[in-house]
Amino acid sequence: MSATGFTGIVVVVLFVGLMISFSIINNNRKSIHVRPIAAYEKIKKEINVSVEDGTQLHISLGRGGITGPESAAGLAGLILLKQVIDKSSMCDHPPVASTGNAVLSILAQDTIRGSSQALNLADQQKNPSGELTGVTPFSYAVGTLTTIRDDNVSANIHTGWFGNEIIWLTTAGERQSSPTIAGTAQLPAQSVIYASASDPLIGEELYASGAYLGAGKLHKASISAQDVVRWIIVFLILGSILFNLFGFNTFIEDILAGSL
Amino acid sequence: MNIKVKAPISTAVAIGVGVIVLAGYFIPSMDSIRFILLRTGLVLAAVALLVGIINLATVHIKKIGKESENSGYSLILLISLLITLIVGITDMAQTYLVGRPNFQITNWVFTNIQLPIETSLLAVTTISLTYAAAGILRKRMNMFSISFFFVVLLVLLGSFSIPSATIPFLQVIRDWILRVPALGGARGLLLGIALGTITTGIRVLLGTDRPYGG
Repeated sequence: MSATGFTGIVVVVLFVGLMISFSIINNNRKSIHVRPIAAYEKIKKEINVSVEDGTQLHISLGRGGITGPESAAGLAGLILLKQVIDKSSMCDHPPVASTGNAVLSILAQDTIRGSSQALNLADQQKNPSGELTGVTPFSYAVGTLTTIRDDNVSANIHTGWFGNEIIWLTTAGERQSSPTIAGTAQLPAQSVIYASASDPLIGEELYASGAYLGAGKLHKASISAQDVVRWIIVFLILGSILFNLFGFNTFIEDILAGSL
Repeated sequence: MNIKVKAPISTAVAIGVGVIVLAGYFIPSMDSIRFILLRTGLVLAAVALLVGIINLATVHIKKIGKESENSGYSLILLISLLITLIVGITDMAQTYLVGRPNFQITNWVFTNIQLPIETSLLAVTTISLTYAAAGILRKRMNMFSISFFFVVLLVLLGSFSIPSATIPFLQVIRDWILRVPALGGARGLLLGIALGTITTGIRVLLGTDRPYGG
């Protein structure tokens, strides 16, 4: 086994251990405090608005597949979709989903159908949304515009793998005067979201939907596990800086080269 | 009742395949199994594209039936889809008859219709991005938005390549911004995204998140 492979196993085992440990620790606590994220507060508010007004939430899941590096962003979007359906069980019209990837489209339909069956939303079992609106970045963005412009859509949530084409979606939402919550894993698109969405999700906030929308203990435990690993990374970075400053790196290199 | 039968099977398949693919990254002897599973996944994704296009056509046929203001666009989409499909089938038949790849009409469609449309959309995107950058202070007047706005201005002013328009001092500032705070911030964001990606993957492998069948 290579050093990279060994490191990978260590990281996975560390994360699994931390997540299980924190879920056991958190089980005994009455409430777990997480820092407030405005975008998730907005989602909760918009779910209530859609229930009261009889409107729909639109969730666009991006154009990431499930076999590449973009898959986690797509899965995070599907988790959010499931949470929104669970939370809007009293709503006349469950959320409408749009995607730019065929596999994600099938998974979105499956999620809507499965959650709707559990919540006895009969109509959605027959006609689950989860439209594939286009397969290229621009065709996806343009195809999604008609859903955003639908008068029955009260808010738009864009979570998944997007490029700069997300500007089309966020500005269309703004023109409709409907709140736009957006998050993506692509760095250039994150700056676009920050400038154009009313409630942006920056960096790892995209993956925290389950913890903030009450998906379960393991979701909050994964946030705690991320914090622990983040501190480990901070100490490793600071340690390596000190190593370089005091010349320990050359000392270790000499030992490894056998010159001492 | 249906979901109760399907859910454990799909969960077991997802977890099993996920664990084998993950192990294949770390253990070289499992690499061949990982490749077989990934290749199968890619074939299934191609089939899913076909299903997705049928879904796309079905959705737009329903939209035409509703007689909404956007039904005209749905009609254009369906006609374009049909023409592209006929062109593709014709080219495939010619390839079969000639005995060598012959996709002239398909290439013509992509070069003369698809490419110009996507290029013009890219141009509109540039204008939309400029509009968004200009409107950020109107949307959110706080310290971060102000610094975002002025950094954009500084980087743009320092990026001129015409000799008469270049400001050497601003070019130095631009280079420093791109090399130090922008790069550092980007790495910080990427680390956060990597941590989020790992925990999302582990939750799927543990069966806590099941984005298949609810």
